[in-house]
Amino acid sequence: MRPNLPPFQERAGAALRDKTLKLAIDRTTGTAERNRAVAVAAWPEFQSARDLGRDIRAHVVNNIDHYLVEFERNAVASGAAVHWAATADEACQIVVEICRKAGAKSVTRSKSMLGEEIGLPHALEAAKIERVETDLAEHIIQLAGDPPSHIVWPALHKTREQVKELFAASHRDPGAMEDVEAMVQAARRELRAKFMAADVGISGANFLVADTGSVCTVTNEGNAELTTTPPRVHIVTAGIEKLVPSTAHAMALLRLLVRSATGAELTQYTTFHTGPKRPGDRDGPDEFHIVLVDNGRTKMLGDGLAEMLRCIRCGACLNHCVVYRHIGGHAYGGTYPGPMGSVLTPSLDGLPASRDLAHACTLNGSCQEVCPVKIPLPTLLRGWRDRSWREGLEPRSVRRALWAWKFVATRPALYRAVSAFAVLGMQLFAKRGWIESMPLAGGWTAHRGLPAPASSTFMQQYQARKRAAK
Amino acid sequence: MSRERILAAARAALGRTAPPDAAAIRAEAATLLAGPDRGRPPRTGTLTERFIERLTHPKVGGTVEQVAMLTDLPRAVRAYLSTNALPARIAVQPEPRLQALDWSGIATHDGVATDEILAVALADCGIAESGSLVFHSAPTSPTLFSFLPLHHIVALDTSKLLEWLEDYATAYTAAGQAQPRNVNIITGASGTTDIEGRLVRGAHGPGFLHVVLFGG
Repeated sequence: MRPNLPPFQERAGAALRDKTLKLAIDRTTGTAERNRAVAVAAWPEFQSARDLGRDIRAHVVNNIDHYLVEFERNAVASGAAVHWAATADEACQIVVEICRKAGAKSVTRSKSMLGEEIGLPHALEAAKIERVETDLAEHIIQLAGDPPSHIVWPALHKTREQVKELFAASHRDPGAMEDVEAMVQAARRELRAKFMAADVGISGANFLVADTGSVCTVTNEGNAELTTTPPRVHIVTAGIEKLVPSTAHAMALLRLLVRSATGAELTQYTTFHTGPKRPGDRDGPDEFHIVLVDNGRTKMLGDGLAEMLRCIRCGACLNHCVVYRHIGGHAYGGTYPGPMGSVLTPSLDGLPASRDLAHACTLNGSCQEVCPVKIPLPTLLRGWRDRSWREGLEPRSVRRALWAWKFVATRPALYRAVSAFAVLGMQLFAKRGWIESMPLAGGWTAHRGLPAPASSTFMQQYQARKRAAK
Repeated sequence: MSRERILAAARAALGRTAPPDAAAIRAEAATLLAGPDRGRPPRTGTLTERFIERLTHPKVGGTVEQVAMLTDLPRAVRAYLSTNALPARIAVQPEPRLQALDWSGIATHDGVATDEILAVALADCGIAESGSLVFHSAPTSPTLFSFLPLHHIVALDTSKLLEWLEDYATAYTAAGQAQPRNVNIITGASGTTDIEGRLVRGAHGPGFLHVVLFGG
């Protein structure tokens, strides 16, 4: 979790009141949802492909020790240096140390959520190394000083009007920026020279291919290759779960990843990086480092969260989540927002600081329906609710309310009496079938109406019908 | 040692009592992909037709023309320069077959500049399923040729077209085969959807991709 955050309810409340944010979220998630639907409709085998995606990822997770060793062996044989980091801090130290040894003054970075997870931007800043974010969205949020708010579109919370203001204030040659096209051109001009001047390029990995030792990156701008090719040193930071057995398995997953993320069939630039520059090559890095990061993943494996390690970070669960679409990414407080983030954050940052996330879910199941590797996200979220209860993390008010409910619910006669009374009481506040405000229900009615209950309880109607039938 | 710590933690979590059986794992991985066309999108038409259909789809945004032989490439490039009113100064990939062509009337160089207007390259193969071009880095094929120019003209031999993404993996990454430093699978011109989800071309890589198919 980011430091010094107000409580979740306050963060969510502030996000709900921000009308510009709602507009920005709707523009991108709406487009993503429509494009994905078109791509999936054109692919009758999509459900079978999801089964395949689930099976490949589950196979890797179940044999992760084998694939880590195989990947390391083949990467080293290709000339790469492989480093292992058990924690986020260790990973950052390794990266900073490589940069120092290379005498790096300037580092270009291609978007990597793992980099955000381990706090790499801050580590580079602390080491006084200039960090140039090259993905357009990362460039926007670097200028704004914001954390990412989506795993595929980190600047999704910014409207085009806000991007224009940012570029006008900080670019050397922003131009008039009359439309989005011109804004993209402004960023292209701004970053061009920086690509070529960097000493080190840092990327993430979409897949680590075990049988070739290759690192696969996927971008639509071409910034990853411009980040990893000109500098003398290329550093990859990757979570250990990114492994796949072979290039063919990576291809099967790429079909799912791209359609689920953007609705395209393949992202513009899919690159497999294998080792450093070869004799006679005119470009490419002299040194190629891969940092394999655990940071809690082996703990998740033993903690009942193995299914979550299947995640390929497409972002579809965010785009289809009713909660994410109302509050956006920042309110979640962790590196990863939305349904997948609500499962990952308690594991990464501890349940006490993040127990609200599992509750901020309607359990409508949309996330599981769109997940390309069929992760049972609602089940995993319920698992965190259960654990929060068992570990005594639920506040006293919640525990008392649940005990009271249990007391009543296990006494049928009492339950019927109380619900009959409640139905009568609620009708006092109902107007034209809806309750706009009512004591103890402010948390609900502040943002939407509550449907008024029927004139009598289910049991009363049931008994009445039984009597009538005799 | 974090390496040992991570591997030990993974083995403990998986409940391993013996080292993993590499042969069994390999067999299981192969079985996963064994089904006929498992999870693949539908297909229609010939290989070349499918490639053209995908490449020119609005989502990919490439343009295409077909010529008889590679020696027709300079004529196609001249026409492209004149149609788009571009200067007759281009980068040509240091690939012997391209360098041997008759480029008269155009000033060519074999390096690619940071602000190169147009570069001409020869793809190693193409993938029909996605309308993709594949480049292997080599002394005769610098990676930046595909990323720095504003206009990217790519020649592709139709006999090098593959059906599926997996066919590329089978043909070029089978066990024991040396891997190029970079394999770039390029599907259309550079684009971004980072501002409000709308697709805009020419983010950092080429803004225009034109494919010249020859042979076949």
